[in-house]
Amino acid sequence: MRVGLVCPYQWDVPGGVQYHVRDLAETLRAQGHHVEVLTPAEHEESLPAEHVTFAGRTVPVPYNGSMASMQFGPISAARVRRWLREGSFDVVHVHEPVSPSVSLLVCMIAKGPIVATFHAASVRSKWLAVIGPWARPWVERISGRIAVSDFARRLQVEHLGGDAVIIPNGVHVDRFAHGPTLPGLTRGGAPLTIGFLGRYDEPRKGLAVLLEAMPAVLAAHPGTRLLIAGRGDAEELHALVGPELGPAVTLLGELSEADKAAFLRSVDVYCAPNLLGESFGVILIEAMAAGAPIVASDLDAFTRVLRGGDAGVLVRRGDPGALAAALVDVLGDPARRAALAAAGSAAARAYDWSVVSERIVAVYETVVLPGAGAVSATEAGTEALLELLPRPPRDGAPVPVDDDDPPGPPDDDPPRPGAPARPVWHRRVRR
Amino acid sequence: MSSGVWLLIGAGVLALAGCWVLWTLTRLRRLERRVQLAWSALDVLLQRRAEVVAQVVDRHPAVLGERRSAQLTEAVARVRVPAGPDREAAENGLARALAQAADRLAALPPALQHEVEDTGTRVGLARSFYNDAVRDTRSLRGRRRSRWLRLHGRRPLPRYFDIQAGTAVTRSRAAQATGRDVA
Repeated sequence: MRVGLVCPYQWDVPGGVQYHVRDLAETLRAQGHHVEVLTPAEHEESLPAEHVTFAGRTVPVPYNGSMASMQFGPISAARVRRWLREGSFDVVHVHEPVSPSVSLLVCMIAKGPIVATFHAASVRSKWLAVIGPWARPWVERISGRIAVSDFARRLQVEHLGGDAVIIPNGVHVDRFAHGPTLPGLTRGGAPLTIGFLGRYDEPRKGLAVLLEAMPAVLAAHPGTRLLIAGRGDAEELHALVGPELGPAVTLLGELSEADKAAFLRSVDVYCAPNLLGESFGVILIEAMAAGAPIVASDLDAFTRVLRGGDAGVLVRRGDPGALAAALVDVLGDPARRAALAAAGSAAARAYDWSVVSERIVAVYETVVLPGAGAVSATEAGTEALLELLPRPPRDGAPVPVDDDDPPGPPDDDPPRPGAPARPVWHRRVRR
Repeated sequence: MSSGVWLLIGAGVLALAGCWVLWTLTRLRRLERRVQLAWSALDVLLQRRAEVVAQVVDRHPAVLGERRSAQLTEAVARVRVPAGPDREAAENGLARALAQAADRLAALPPALQHEVEDTGTRVGLARSFYNDAVRDTRSLRGRRRSRWLRLHGRRPLPRYFDIQAGTAVTRSRAAQATGRDVA
């Protein structure tokens, strides 16, 4: 199958959507599909030239306290058009289409089956409320909608009035399950370690709650170390930690992918004290895959990933006392940690890319009808309106709609057409 | 202002209205096509599911047991009545019969078992995408201006196809949550 993936965010800036697109492309390519990616980037030369096409740079726009990136205009549109024409894809898969980005441009320009994934990772509800109604005429061209979580689906339903099937984010489970640990640290050895990963200067990540819980943890298990990984302002963190906790806290800074996996394999407990706004929680799945027992706050997304508490310990969000009690409990009970790790590893399997990509391919195969032809691009500007004028059918173009025989479930008794000789799912590409 | 200016303004408004009508007609036509494609995908998959179940009953009656076999055969027969009076009910009947036979189905050869599950999943996807297309169409057609102008012509309003999805991928209450009838 020929698949065109569209990433709206700059490829060379770390982010969940970018990683998702990258991993999906890699997985599908390994399965023998032809996959190309269209994405903006800060530096064109950073893109893997083989299958990733540069869509231009995005313009940062301050919005609602953070930066939204926008990309729109005739030059980007021309790039999209060329990419669509040269790719002749069976299906185009856009990500996070409801922002003024290359994803929305693709929705406007592409003619043919479009699949969209709503991540709701960086799109805020207010932003969607503003832009949703305007984007609707183009969003309604999407034939298959995917949401990565219930939260993302709800946002979609509220602001765009459509449904979506839920297919979670994927994780390369084996890359987290096997490999080295961080030098000098082994799980189960002294000292006991608690891991935290994320932008530690964002209050919603809840590091403050964890720091508040630390004295009680240290009192019960002296010598326990808290390892903090991620981006942020180190000065600010030192001020937040204070002199008393200082010796027990180690700041690792931003980690590479390989180091992140090693970090998750090293810690005795992974703690996610987030206060709000996590759409999915890929990090929890990565931690579970790496065999780390988890103590997390009871956000909806986390509760779902941790199977309601079977695959990790859930505590009330923003409650340092409850968090401390849970951490003390888990740190003091190696058997419990082993049981949690085993349950977590099993739960993480369901999110492995091999499983997730199979579901995504099923979506592609549902929207791509046999013989429907490749995705094409509309001409610039007014062509959309000219579509109305009668034109002779092109080669492979489907038969025009007969007004007297409406599609849909039979109200009266229209004859049911026979199944095509080659059903959709037999078109799977084999290497 | 002189009448010339008013004429110009009038012409401008008319041109805008014309553009809006053309644009809406394009959208309606595109949506109609989407509904049609989504329906044909769903239709093919429903037939495919019946076919797979018929195969299972045919080849492995011993695994299913007499009662389940009879149930599934009957459900398939009802689904296969050309344009039966209530296809949704018939398809739901088949889904129910499959759910009841779940423990027996687990004893099938893995390949066949996978095929049964896989078709079920795909039916769920196709159903969701079809209802999505219907929802988008109904919401555009329900808008006051397009209703008053009867931009849809004589085309009947597409109907939702309410069947149970019954798969992990598509289990959602969305159909109820957003299936507000705008007509």
